[in-house]
Amino acid sequence: MKLTTKNRFNVAMALIAPVALIGLLAASPAIAREPFTKAELADQEKALLAVVDHGRDLWHGTLPSMQTNGLACGNCHPDAAASNPHTFPKFQANLGKVITLRDMINWCIMVPQVGKALDVNGDDMIAMEAYAFYLYRGVKIEPGLATRQTAGFDVKSGAGFPKKGSGVAYDNEKAPVLPVINK
Amino acid sequence: MTDFNKMSRRDFFTVTGKAGLATIAAGAVGVNFGMVQVAEAAVGKSKVSPFRFAILTDAHLFSHADHKFDAMLEKAVADCNKAKPDFVLYCGDIAQNGTADQLDKGKKILSKLTMPLKVIPGEHDWYLDMGAAWRGHFGPQNWSFDHKGVHFIGMNSILVKDFWTGAGMTPLERMGVMEMLESPLAGPWGVQAEQLDWLKKDVKKLASDTPIVVFTHSPLWDYYPRWNFQTSDAPEIREILSKFVRVMSFHGHVHQTVYNKIGNMGSVGTMSTSWPWPYPPVKQAYPEHQQLRADPGNFEDGMGSQLIDLESDFAGKMLYKPFAESLTPTMKNGFKI
Ligand SMILES: [Fe+2]
Ligand SMILES: [Fe+2]
Repeated sequence: MKLTTKNRFNVAMALIAPVALIGLLAASPAIAREPFTKAELADQEKALLAVVDHGRDLWHGTLPSMQTNGLACGNCHPDAAASNPHTFPKFQANLGKVITLRDMINWCIMVPQVGKALDVNGDDMIAMEAYAFYLYRGVKIEPGLATRQTAGFDVKSGAGFPKKGSGVAYDNEKAPVLPVINK
Repeated sequence: MTDFNKMSRRDFFTVTGKAGLATIAAGAVGVNFGMVQVAEAAVGKSKVSPFRFAILTDAHLFSHADHKFDAMLEKAVADCNKAKPDFVLYCGDIAQNGTADQLDKGKKILSKLTMPLKVIPGEHDWYLDMGAAWRGHFGPQNWSFDHKGVHFIGMNSILVKDFWTGAGMTPLERMGVMEMLESPLAGPWGVQAEQLDWLKKDVKKLASDTPIVVFTHSPLWDYYPRWNFQTSDAPEIREILSKFVRVMSFHGHVHQTVYNKIGNMGSVGTMSTSWPWPYPPVKQAYPEHQQLRADPGNFEDGMGSQLIDLESDFAGKMLYKPFAESLTPTMKNGFKI
């Protein structure tokens, strides 16, 4: 039999997979797949929100190295508006190429904020990304072009504001689903 | 809420009664008020001697030496001096963190204007010392004056209920809360009762055909409350001013070009000299008055100053003066307010 790339892969998997699975089962009783218990899901949610919360803080200037002129991401992007994470990777006109959200975040830190770029795979960058994506949850993923997208979603809070702060900017009751209005 | 979009023009007038009875419309973001042609009426015997004034706003000066925002305010001041308006109005947020040195810097740069200046406060000027330094530099928080047949009014629209005493916050923490646009802690702000009383008295004796121009830091309509793109007692303000044939309202805070009309009031947002805020995700009645998205690589794009030319019939022409080309065709050569 002549092995193409594809069936070579299949053959390899047939040999390796059962062994690997047995190894995994033996190593840990906690299997990282469904069904998760309610308590496990609550822990996951808590872990996610802690990262989002950290991202929200960074977004609003808690890490001094991200600037030398006092500016924070929140100056131009309140509620992460106009950051449009769902459109990356996209062609960024001011850079003349297709870039990722992480590239864009570091560009904003280095150029308008004259700060030190974050480690592109570090915890702080993951937190920044988590905050932006969390606020845009429910919005269609739409890698794109540099268009007139200026705002992503609506953060509802009743007649204006909740009586007390949630500590995080996501004080709406349900996921924002309003699409970009300015394409 | 009443569905205004489904109503005929006749129904609309039946509901609102007269121009300016605007409490009904207070929350009506996204309603197309373009159908109401109230502002076309000529202003009776009150004649305006044509003149020009300018608006600068939202410099958000930091304490850093030679900050890029210093240069942008300098540039706007120089542009103003060339355009030769009768006077300049400053719509708030001179400082970023409300410190005396930032307000000092602003006053110093603004003193290069070769014409008179009137100033109202923004939230960034106010909440470190509750306006003490600001008042020391720029005087009372609200004022009015007459110029060539027009009555000008300025008010402090950024007053919130005390959220800091109970929470045991320091002045710096209070300022921090107010500095964040999307902070849910502070709640909606307004001019509050004392200034409403003052406004009532201020306009009491004025004839209804007196041209009125009013300045506040925040919009006198419910644009996007979450970012305080609103003034909570705007309905009361519009009610007090409803006896006038025509009112022009100018505001800062939104850092963007935006236009709306409610009853007898045409409302215009202004470009900052610091950064442009994104447009909030709400439908606008006049979307053609939204500036183009700024190039993030051009630090002057999306900012600028504004000139207003008032004609003898009080037909105002609004001219945005952006540092970089960012206007739609509707705005490019000026538009009627
Ligand atoms: Fe501002
Ligand atoms: Fe403001």
